[in-house]
Amino acid sequence: MNGRIIAFCCEHSAYPAADLAGKLGLHYPETLRIIRVPCAGRVDVIHMLRALEKGASAVLVLGCEDGACHHITGNIRARERVKHCDMLLREIGIDGRPVVMFNLSPNAPHKFVKAANEITKIIKESREAR
Amino acid sequence: MEARIGVFICNCGGGMKNIDFDAAGAKVAKIRGVTCVNLISDLCLEEGTEKMAARIRAENLDKVVVAGCSPQFKEHVFRNVLENAGLDGHLLCMANIREQCSWAHDGDVTEKAVDLVKMAVYKARLLRPVEKQDIAVDRKVLVVGGGFSAVASALRLSRVGLRPTVLEKEAVLGTSSEELQRFYGFDVSSMIGAAEGDANIEVLTSARMTAAKGAAGDFLVTIMREGEEISRKYGAIVFATGYRTELALDSGLGLPAENEAVSGPKIVSQEQLFDMLNDPFTDTKPRTIGFVFGFSDENSRFPTLATLNNALAAKKEWDSEIYVFCRDVEVDSEGVEKLYREARECGVVFLKCEALPRIAVDNGRIAIEAEDVFLGEDTVVACDLLVAEELLFPTEGTAALSSLLNIRLDSRGFYQDENVHLYPVASERKGVFFVGGCRGDLDMGRVLTDISSAVMSIDKLLSSGTITAEIERVKADPQKCVACLTCIRVCPHGAVQLGRVDGGKEIAVIADLACDACGICAAVCPAKAIDFQGYRDDQLLAQIEAIGES
Ligand SMILES: Cc1cc2nc3c(=O)[nH]c(=O)nc-3n(C[C@H](O)[C@H](O)[C@H](O)COP(=O)(O)OP(=O)(O)OC[C@H]3O[C@@H](n4cnc5c(N)ncnc54)[C@H](O)[C@@H]3O)c2cc1C
Ligand code: SF4
Ligand code: SF4
Repeated sequence: MNGRIIAFCCEHSAYPAADLAGKLGLHYPETLRIIRVPCAGRVDVIHMLRALEKGASAVLVLGCEDGACHHITGNIRARERVKHCDMLLREIGIDGRPVVMFNLSPNAPHKFVKAANEITKIIKESREAR
Repeated sequence: MEARIGVFICNCGGGMKNIDFDAAGAKVAKIRGVTCVNLISDLCLEEGTEKMAARIRAENLDKVVVAGCSPQFKEHVFRNVLENAGLDGHLLCMANIREQCSWAHDGDVTEKAVDLVKMAVYKARLLRPVEKQDIAVDRKVLVVGGGFSAVASALRLSRVGLRPTVLEKEAVLGTSSEELQRFYGFDVSSMIGAAEGDANIEVLTSARMTAAKGAAGDFLVTIMREGEEISRKYGAIVFATGYRTELALDSGLGLPAENEAVSGPKIVSQEQLFDMLNDPFTDTKPRTIGFVFGFSDENSRFPTLATLNNALAAKKEWDSEIYVFCRDVEVDSEGVEKLYREARECGVVFLKCEALPRIAVDNGRIAIEAEDVFLGEDTVVACDLLVAEELLFPTEGTAALSSLLNIRLDSRGFYQDENVHLYPVASERKGVFFVGGCRGDLDMGRVLTDISSAVMSIDKLLSSGTITAEIERVKADPQKCVACLTCIRVCPHGAVQLGRVDGGKEIAVIADLACDACGICAAVCPAKAIDFQGYRDDQLLAQIEAIGES
């Protein structure tokens, strides 16, 4: 899937933020592929791992800001799961492709774009380091 | 049988110039499972939806993919088209080629658009319909509390034809509303009279809720009243349990801890000052009064209101000199800007301080010392009366009450007022609402708004006597569930309970009316027993598969 970034976006914050980025013409890398989820807490380790298995260069999980998750604890659960997944990957020493969680609010398109740019930068740096 | 998937591609009236729609259509037609591709401009307008419905019928489609704008924007429109064409609305999947493709990137994005459609098609193949059913609900509403908010809510609920029960822990209604009545001119006692005389309203005093279970439309509540246990069914529950205040004496405000220790000068609360002002037998006339507020809490709506009202009254009754030391005068409640102006016009002096004023007893008077940020210099005022900062707390027992329904409190112990995604008066549990002081710092204007919002939501929920629910959209498979209780613990909306289906073993049973479709349970279930139509594991993985192949 040459260099695709898979971003799981919750429909209460991240997904509308991505929409707003488009509406405002704030550009981000074309390699991003968004999968809509009802809550970041829906995303399981299997989804992140499968994305990497299928060749994604990075996995993003994007959910609501702290204390403002529509499903109260969904974003916290997601963050812990992302951490867990990252730890698993490090432990078995896979090639260091990043799995990262970001929090944002639906009216923060710039934060969405920043997340997309940041992850792209991380991918580039880790590729160069190898 | 292979699915018959129809793809409808909309160019949004020419609003996506960087996609070559003919080329995209040709590529989409080759995706496995696609029966037909339809390029229709302005798909969401009447002509478009009619064409779409006609194509669904003509091609005998069983799944539909719409490629166009964001599903956040028009999904409901296209779901309706499916329903009108005889398909379940859940058999639709959208590819967001506008906001998240055409508009998000420069240059030609035809290829990405095709990718996004492919993801949607792969997911669409696995979609299944979700049954809808009308579920009967109880039209009775429990209102916990017996203050202004509770009584006003009950009256409004009765007016829309619902049947409220007012549950007050004290022996009479309105014990904490006296100051409202006397000072702010709200006629609470005639409201209470009206509620007590209303045949639709049941009033239970000296009563408390001791247990509750069930879900929206069907709560079972246990009430203790004078040693007697009553069990009742309610369709919704409203909390209106208010707040309490405490004088911030030894809380780092530099005040002498014991009021009595100060002979001569006095330190009082807003309420005590109010009582002094209204006492016909008193001959105290403090020459100088100092008010201090707004240093212990970010919100200073209450203290601003109380200070302005009391300061104006003290000017009128006693003609005292008045100094107000505060961080911010919060004038965003109705009418407060005007009160503030009046106070200034009649000579009340406001000092804006960043740091807490220092307070000392000096020669029988109270010295308040602080730096005014505008003057940039220290000011010392000697007063005969200090109206001290008050702290706002939830009513005692709020935590116990909320734990009966597994509802979270905010960082100050009030019912949630912080989560921007939850409608202010709604809780994380459907059918449970909060109004008034129990949500924190509210003035009467906001309390009235709360009541309207809550009554409106409850009316919508219960007035027809039935709610249309999606049946088993999220469901635990009885074969796989091992009753480990994980989902029951994590469900943020209290929607899962242990139960038996058709007399089988105990498993996790999800209440369709209470479930808010977040999918957290599906992610945590160690047995992978929970299916969530629309976001099932295989449906999410299929999209990853599609990206992997591109
Ligand atoms: C000093 C001060 C000054 C103010 N000044 C103004 C002003 O100038 N203008 C303005 O608009 N607003 C003002 N307010 C705000 C106003 O008083 C409140 O917004 C209003 O009283 C809130 O009403 P309520 O019914 O929510 O709470 P309350 O009036 O506190 O009523 C709560 C009721 O619930 C009962 N209860 C509690 N727990 C339970 C339980 N577990 N079971 C059953 N019953 C229970 C209590 O006994 C009580 O009767 C002021 C408040 C303060 C503190
Ligand atoms: S988490 Fe899964 S296995 Fe455990 S009770 Fe819930 S559905 Fe059953
Ligand atoms: S989907 Fe969410 S709200 Fe529904 S039962 Fe599962 S955890 Fe609870």
